[in-house]
Amino acid sequence: MTFLDRGADVDALRTDRYLDSLLSADRSAADAPADSGLDPLIRGVATRLRRHLAPVHPSFRFEERLASRLAEMAASMRLADAAGAEGAPVAAPGPVGLEPFEDLFGDDLATRARPLIIGGAITSAALSIAGAAYVAWRRTRTPRSRTRLD
Amino acid sequence: MPRAVLGSAGRQRRAAGASITRLDRDRPLVEAARRDPSQFDALYRRYLAQVYSFAYYELGDHHEAEDATERTFLAALAGLDRFEERALPAEGPDASTFRIWLFRIARNAVANQRRHRRRHPADPIEVAEVIPAATNVEAAVVRRDEASAAWQAIDRLPADRRRAIILRFVDDMSTSEIASVLGRSEGAVRVLLHRALRAVGRELGVGQKTASDVAKSR
Repeated sequence: MTFLDRGADVDALRTDRYLDSLLSADRSAADAPADSGLDPLIRGVATRLRRHLAPVHPSFRFEERLASRLAEMAASMRLADAAGAEGAPVAAPGPVGLEPFEDLFGDDLATRARPLIIGGAITSAALSIAGAAYVAWRRTRTPRSRTRLD
Repeated sequence: MPRAVLGSAGRQRRAAGASITRLDRDRPLVEAARRDPSQFDALYRRYLAQVYSFAYYELGDHHEAEDATERTFLAALAGLDRFEERALPAEGPDASTFRIWLFRIARNAVANQRRHRRRHPADPIEVAEVIPAATNVEAAVVRRDEASAAWQAIDRLPADRRRAIILRFVDDMSTSEIASVLGRSEGAVRVLLHRALRAVGRELGVGQKTASDVAKSR
């Protein structure tokens, strides 16, 4: 670890401690005690974000609609259990055109997509090289050489 | 066989031989929901606003936030058997690995939503709805402008920095919880947050004197 890295880690730790005290205080609190070495820029922006990033609540209509959808799904799961179909997939489609639930349990969708792209690029490059090699080989096989082979 | 849900952070803990005890704050609710899925409603009510807030600040649109929230809870109910409780004694009595598991589902739902939407919303986030009405109209307008600028600066951050800021400031998550949600180490999350705040601060010109301030000081 270089001196600069260690300095960055110490700054990040100072920021983290300050955020702990700022965010544990009441939302209306203007500021919180900070380490003297804390960057004033960090302090200024953190207090501003604390003021402006308030939690939001969905509409009552949405809350109740989703609650009844979950209740329907729960009822169908209970029926499936009672019928001895434990472990069978539960049909509860989300908005049309989106992925099945299975995809939502993955570790990281972004990092899963990357190997696919890299794999595709490598396959494409390999096919191009193979194609070029085949064309070159065909060109070396002149009609005369083919005749000789025959 | 149930799958691991905590990713690299969870694996690191297991590798370190840390003892796993059953002390998750949500344990009674999760067990009740496993016995009777209709009991999931209590978990839903407890975390609805948190998941919705995360989705709303990530997507900047109420309808998209509702879609992502809906998918998150439906998937959580359908996959409740996969959830593994992993709270550690050091995490204290408020630890909830269910919350982390739920937010990992929400993170994926939001990421999918962002990928699937064909265009960005035409209008920035409707900060007016987030800010309580003030009696002083001028102050309310200034506050709304400030909130809008802050949100736009956050929206321009790279995905992990933006998520870390939202989870820390909106959902009041600790660095350790964010690390589990994002599948990063605590140190990495601290650096993410520090850099994100610096970037937002620079963009907002925090600490710099405005032209009017300079004029006043003369």
